[in-house]
Amino acid sequence: MNKKYLFLIGLLLPLALVLSGCAAGLTANAWPAMTTDTKNAYLAGGPYVYAVSLQTHAQVWRFPASSSAANPFYATPVLTPDGQLIVGGFDKKLYSINPVTGQSTWQFTGAHDRFFGGVVAVNNMIYAPNADYNLYALDLKGQLQWTFEADQSIWGAPVSDGTNIYFGTLGRKVYAVNAKTGKQVWMQVLDGAVLGSPVLGKTNALYLGTYGGTLYALNTADGKTIWSKPASTWIWSGPVSDGTNLYVGDANGKLVAYTASGGSKLWEQDLNGAIVGSPCMCGGNIVVGTEAGTVYFIDPTGKVLQTVSLAATMKVYATPASAGTLALVAPTSTASTDPVLVALDAAGTTKWSFIPPK
Amino acid sequence: MWETIIVTPFTNALLFIYKLIGGNFGVAIILFTILIRLITHPLMASQIKGSTKMQEMQNSKEWQDIQKKYKDDKEKLAQEQMKYYKEIGYNPMSSCLPSVIQIPIIFGLYQSIMRALAASPLQLLILTRTVYSFFHVGDLVPLNSRFLWMNLGQPERVYMFGYGIPVLAVIVALTTYVQSKVTMPASTNPNDQSAMMGKMMAIYMPLLLGYFALTFASGLSVYFIAGNLVGIAQYALLGKVNWRALLPGAKPTQALAVRKK
Repeated sequence: MNKKYLFLIGLLLPLALVLSGCAAGLTANAWPAMTTDTKNAYLAGGPYVYAVSLQTHAQVWRFPASSSAANPFYATPVLTPDGQLIVGGFDKKLYSINPVTGQSTWQFTGAHDRFFGGVVAVNNMIYAPNADYNLYALDLKGQLQWTFEADQSIWGAPVSDGTNIYFGTLGRKVYAVNAKTGKQVWMQVLDGAVLGSPVLGKTNALYLGTYGGTLYALNTADGKTIWSKPASTWIWSGPVSDGTNLYVGDANGKLVAYTASGGSKLWEQDLNGAIVGSPCMCGGNIVVGTEAGTVYFIDPTGKVLQTVSLAATMKVYATPASAGTLALVAPTSTASTDPVLVALDAAGTTKWSFIPPK
Repeated sequence: MWETIIVTPFTNALLFIYKLIGGNFGVAIILFTILIRLITHPLMASQIKGSTKMQEMQNSKEWQDIQKKYKDDKEKLAQEQMKYYKEIGYNPMSSCLPSVIQIPIIFGLYQSIMRALAASPLQLLILTRTVYSFFHVGDLVPLNSRFLWMNLGQPERVYMFGYGIPVLAVIVALTTYVQSKVTMPASTNPNDQSAMMGKMMAIYMPLLLGYFALTFASGLSVYFIAGNLVGIAQYALLGKVNWRALLPGAKPTQALAVRKK
């Protein structure tokens, strides 16, 4: 009988391992996201959120104390005006973390799906998008104030002008919702899913890119299209604005600059791989990463100043962040020993890097 | 290699069905499971035929005599078994080879379902790289992953009185058990090792697949249930289903005896 049990275990164990392995491969399904303040960079990468000191380049804290690869953090951490660090996870929870101690002050557990998009914090409120189709409005103590149900999952972070909250959905729609009441102000249908975050312009304009491959400028008052421009293929993340111009990348590696006011094309650069994350305005230049693992420093006229090739195992999906004169890049690596945070100066030199301690 | 010949074509076929039926992923999984089972039906029929022949052989007096006669001489026993296989024209690989061929197809099907669901950003990015050029990727999103009460990209629970009840995991375990029981070959030989193995599998497989259904995306559970029901239907079409095996206290041997009358 022992042999039979051994045979059965021998049969079932590989089956379990193969199926578990397939699923595990799919649960490691996020790339890092980060934000900074004057002291630290806050990196949501894999199953933890790290605070990394910009002075010592060492880990200040890690949250939570223990976690599993099945519950990574993908949403960009956001600092609120009252000094909380808010980040949502794949475990369907939204956490408020003390950025000094790394301790959780409260958790919101009312969502039914994962948090992919970062929150927006305005008017002493926190607006959290979730894949369960809902936008949750919480007060600064994490108490639910209202819920707005959209047509589909919300993957990108919302933006707010203080009056309304604006966000796109996978259902090819963009919404304006009253920040106080949670009532829909307007809704506009677009040509493709909105995976990234919109950007607010100076003149009542909302800019966003779609998976259908179009860059839109919408009127924040009524959602009507001011102008739209076709990209060469799908756009994952939203554009970035320097106040005058917009810079947007697509999956063919084209980085294009448009005037924010009229959508006139200023220049275009062909980069060496798909652009998934948004570009970042760092020190007056545009910093953008590609799936080929290259970081580009480009000036506002479209001239490539520096290219930095990271290790062959690295892909840059995350939007870079600015830390003083440095650009922080969080590559996605297939090799566990590679750094997860790299600080580059304007000359493209690696000033420091961070590898989470074991 | 695995990606190119199995996962990518399967994923595209699944998405093609999904688009064809108007964007219902649950129905697409069921139809795709049926399609794959139909394509691999000759393999399954061959496997059933081989297992039946093996069962008949193991129940025969000649086979049992060989087992008794050479029970203390393993080498001689193996030689005599091979000799007997040749005499009756039985290929010992005929019952297991079709199953072995089906295993990569099952894994590929599972992976393609998980790939096509694209329930998270990196999964969607991978899916974008997987789809053939005749799909416009922008048209594929949003993938409607809601089916009946389920989000196919998430483990399923029905919430009642504050408790999440894994209804689908129970159905997966139940249908797996039923399939194992009603398709288990009958044996009159009390020392039949494959029959004993079958009984053990009927206990462990429902638990294993039920655990997967409990833990992984519910799209996988839909595939398990559809696969189990189609499997029972396939056996029924070949006249190999023994419904009496489900009756309390019934044994495959008794059921076979009744059927033979």
